[in-house]
Amino acid sequence: MLKIDDLHVAVGDAEIIKGLTLEVPAGEVHAIMGPNGSGKSTLSYTVAGRDGYEATAGAVTLEGDNIIDLDPDERAAKGLFLSFQHPMEIPGVQTMNFIRTAMNAQRKARDEEEISAADFIKLVREKAKLVGLDDAKLKRPFNVGFSGGEKKRMEMLQLAMFEPRFAIMDETDSGLDIDALKMVGDVVNALRGPDRGFLVITHYQRLLEYIRPDRVHVLAGGRIVKSGGPSLAAELEKSGYEQFIEAA
Amino acid sequence: MTNATGDTSAFANAIETDYRNRSATNAMQSAAFVRYARLGLPNRRVEGWKWSDFNAALRGPAAANDAAAPETIPPSPFAALEPLEIQIVDGRVLSPDAAKLDGFEFGVIEPGGSDPDFDGHSLVALNIALTRRAFGYRVEKGANIERPILIRHINTKPGHVFSQVLGRGDEGSRSTIIETFEGRAVFHSAVHHLSVYRNAELSRYVLNDTDAGAVTHGFFGAMVGEGARFRQTSLSTGGRLCRHETHLLYPAAGGFSDVASAALVAGDRHSDFTTQVRFRAPGGEARQLHKGVASGKARNVFQGKFHVERAAQKTDAKMTANALLLSEGAEANHKPELEIYADDVECAHGSTVGALDDDALFYLRQRGLSASAARALLIEAFAGEVVDSIDNEGVRNVFATRVAAWLEDQQ
Ligand SMILES: Nc1ncnc2c1ncn2[C@@H]1O[C@H](COP(=O)(O)OP(=O)(O)OP(=O)(O)O)[C@@H](O)[C@H]1O
Ligand SMILES: [Mg+2]
Repeated sequence: MLKIDDLHVAVGDAEIIKGLTLEVPAGEVHAIMGPNGSGKSTLSYTVAGRDGYEATAGAVTLEGDNIIDLDPDERAAKGLFLSFQHPMEIPGVQTMNFIRTAMNAQRKARDEEEISAADFIKLVREKAKLVGLDDAKLKRPFNVGFSGGEKKRMEMLQLAMFEPRFAIMDETDSGLDIDALKMVGDVVNALRGPDRGFLVITHYQRLLEYIRPDRVHVLAGGRIVKSGGPSLAAELEKSGYEQFIEAA
Repeated sequence: MTNATGDTSAFANAIETDYRNRSATNAMQSAAFVRYARLGLPNRRVEGWKWSDFNAALRGPAAANDAAAPETIPPSPFAALEPLEIQIVDGRVLSPDAAKLDGFEFGVIEPGGSDPDFDGHSLVALNIALTRRAFGYRVEKGANIERPILIRHINTKPGHVFSQVLGRGDEGSRSTIIETFEGRAVFHSAVHHLSVYRNAELSRYVLNDTDAGAVTHGFFGAMVGEGARFRQTSLSTGGRLCRHETHLLYPAAGGFSDVASAALVAGDRHSDFTTQVRFRAPGGEARQLHKGVASGKARNVFQGKFHVERAAQKTDAKMTANALLLSEGAEANHKPELEIYADDVECAHGSTVGALDDDALFYLRQRGLSASAARALLIEAFAGEVVDSIDNEGVRNVFATRVAAWLEDQQ
């Protein structure tokens, strides 16, 4: 599904991703763990197509299509979703309007019909309830004044609304309370299926108790330095990253 | 031909000819013309005109007329509000419709004279010297006029145009005045004097939607009386040189004003919002917000000044100006000023100039918005602070539609 092959990424003058290879087959959930500054967010920005995070070498394909030259919105229309580690506040943009505009932009790009206002309202209310955001928040400017946890819930709301083919979740669990962690697990598990894939970036094993990953990778020094089954997360929690930092 | 101004430009000659050809000139008008001749057109070396040089713009070659004169006057975007509509076409006040409006008196009147506070303002002097007839209105004491009054300045011919509006909102009255500037490449000087008396409330909305070649100078001066509340929201897409001045005077205690403006300027258009508030009595309150968006090689100017006299204790005045620059060649010039002689006041101003936020743009695009849709959404949100603050829903819709249309044109 998502295939990253010998990817190199430079941010400014510094090479941050240094030959990273990773494949998440359809139907699977993979987790990435790794020390601060190891390049996890850089990887997610590059896959999503952010300016300034250009691949200097290597390939990224989604369902066999090379996406590295696509604009971010084209990648989104192909079903790629990024849950941001630090979601933006966007003053002056009403939350519901924005989500509906985004949803319809994606649908239009896929030659699908726009969602009707009534269907949209119904859907957004249902999903807001699921992620624990009250309706009043949907009428406010996007994320403005929201707590860290509320912003993450807003990311999950969009994940649940858009039902992307492939989602990268960059530290969605950071800043979330225990109930919210479980909610994230519920949202992801409900979407899990043979046609979808997830890449879950996290520092803690806890989220992975709710979302059982098929594989766990360790990213250190811009490369995947170790991969293993779900038990690797627990191991890392005990032993830390020191061995990998030295190896990288 | 020798000129009173000693200036031999086509503009100066045309003005001089116009003045000489008047059938009747009263003493006030000839005194005003002498003042104008002595002062000359404001140029960049004159305090307050550094960024908006009318001398250079008017003495230079006249802009070509970009659009054909309309055969009939198009309906106003405010028509849906069913306003009482007054048209001032090429400076002539067309007899307002015969319809009567309870509590609202209006008609074509003799133009007004000078206000000593503005004797040094050469464009105002020129306006006094050359305006032939004014539109006058009065909201009667205690009247609550729901129907908006729409004053349209429509210019159809090249040349120069002078117009005056003289109004008053009497004690305890409530009313809404909409003023639009429409039309072609002309020099238009519009003066509007208003008195808002004790406990009266008046909202004024200004939409400047002229052609790219238009040179517009709007001068608005209002007295905010005791406990009076004045609100104003303006939207301008600029012109070759387009300046709207708002001068407020608080001679009595407890006046309130909220003045907001948004400028959306593209190409090589120029917009200037200049405001001055003079507090002479205690307990005055003023809020000002300006939002300017400039693209291409456009320029957006905001100058705001609070002048708090010694007697004006407990004045509470805040001013914010934010500019958004969409291109390398665009410019924003802000000059917020406080001049305070009273010691117990709360006055503040803030000013920012920036570009669109890359982080926000990427976020929106990750969610599926195209680059242009993402930009448009952020620009709309930026200007939205001014538009959304409009209480009158009908007016707010017209402003929002104009902003959306402008964004559409930028695609
Ligand atoms: N825009 C940028 N400008 C300069 N350096 C950057 C930029 N973005 C990332 N970096 C650098 O790249 C390295 C990797 O950063 P990245 O944010 O990808 O780490 P991370 O693994 O997500 O860390 P964390 O666990 O703290 O979120 C860091 O050293 C960071 O300082
Ligand atoms: Mg990170």
